Amino acid sequence: MPDWGRTTLELMVQELQHPVRLDESFDRRVMVRVRRVHAERRHRGIIGWLGAAASISRRPAWAAALAACVVAVVSIGITRGTRTPAIPTGHAIPVQFVLVAPGAHSVAVVGDFNNWGLNDTALVAENHNGVWSVSASVHTGVHRYAFLVNGKEWVADPTAPRAADDDFGQPSSALVVEASTQ
Amino acid sequence: MSMRTARSLLAVLLVGSAFRSTEAQDPRLSNRLDAPTRKALSAIVDSARAQGIPVEPLMEKVYQGLAMGADGTRIVVAVRSLTFEMGNAHRVLGAVATTDELKAAASAVHAGVPAVELGKMKKQSGLRRSLTLPFTVLADIVSRGVPVAAATNAIKSLVGAGAKDKDISDFQRNVSVDIEKGAQPAAAAETRAKGAVVPNPKEDREHE
Repeated sequence: MPDWGRTTLELMVQELQHPVRLDESFDRRVMVRVRRVHAERRHRGIIGWLGAAASISRRPAWAAALAACVVAVVSIGITRGTRTPAIPTGHAIPVQFVLVAPGAHSVAVVGDFNNWGLNDTALVAENHNGVWSVSASVHTGVHRYAFLVNGKEWVADPTAPRAADDDFGQPSSALVVEASTQ
Repeated sequence: MSMRTARSLLAVLLVGSAFRSTEAQDPRLSNRLDAPTRKALSAIVDSARAQGIPVEPLMEKVYQGLAMGADGTRIVVAVRSLTFEMGNAHRVLGAVATTDELKAAASAVHAGVPAVELGKMKKQSGLRRSLTLPFTVLADIVSRGVPVAAATNAIKSLVGAGAKDKDISDFQRNVSVDIEKGAQPAAAAETRAKGAVVPNPKEDREHE
């Protein structure tokens, strides 16, 4: 089963396991309704009552289908409420990357968001005063990245959290792009 | 062969193709990884899939290794280590954790934070609160020298007090500046955590 399917199913199961909380007026409203139905049945007589009872017992398949629809609608609501921000996950948001490197000849930002492509996102030195910057579209989520200076030196972003897992002996940074950062 | 066995076999065949299909799409993988490395990575990816661990972060780690000029052995070690850390995070955070949360949690585990502490934070914060940024900041401050216990307590107190991501981001920035200026890391984290969530009188009035 794909991840999204498994997650949705688990959310459904989890939600269905929660006790249903009802407001205090629920009992009163139910009893009013029950008394009204009871009164109507008394008016219709015994034939009408039997007909109403039979219409439920003859259609378990429809009831199951209806229940499945309700669960599906509820699960969509749960998924939207917990996982989907105002901007759907995966939406690209412009992020500005800046590095002060006065002596550099070239600077690129390389990370998860561009599959660590060395030549994909080059920074530009504005006015040639050593402030290198670029605005790149980055999908929502958490990304590791680093600056590559002069095509050989890896530099972490001094303004960002460090990525703790420097498995390859080079520094890197962490970027969390939330939908709300837009 | 029973239907259950057939379904299991089909699932194994499908997940087994995950790394190989990516490999086919990206010439970097087939051109720059030797056959034993590709085989080892394929086995790790298959194993991760079978455990319900998202494989995208593993592929990103492969790309990172290639970009940084690491050899195949080092890439395999890094990907195996990440799989182990994500597996630990997956066990304590549960199936409701997002891929981003698992990725951030794996960084924290890598930094030395016990996975069980991350699980406690998830329970404390509720299912709807994403802990991607708190886990990222936790990994960051530990890597800057804040002792694991002090860092965990600081992030726990922030999350418990209902700190928003912006508050936690500001906390990270302040702690890193304090440490750069010579503050003792534990003291910086504890002090900044105390002042990170200050009730906004304007917001309080709006709620009244």
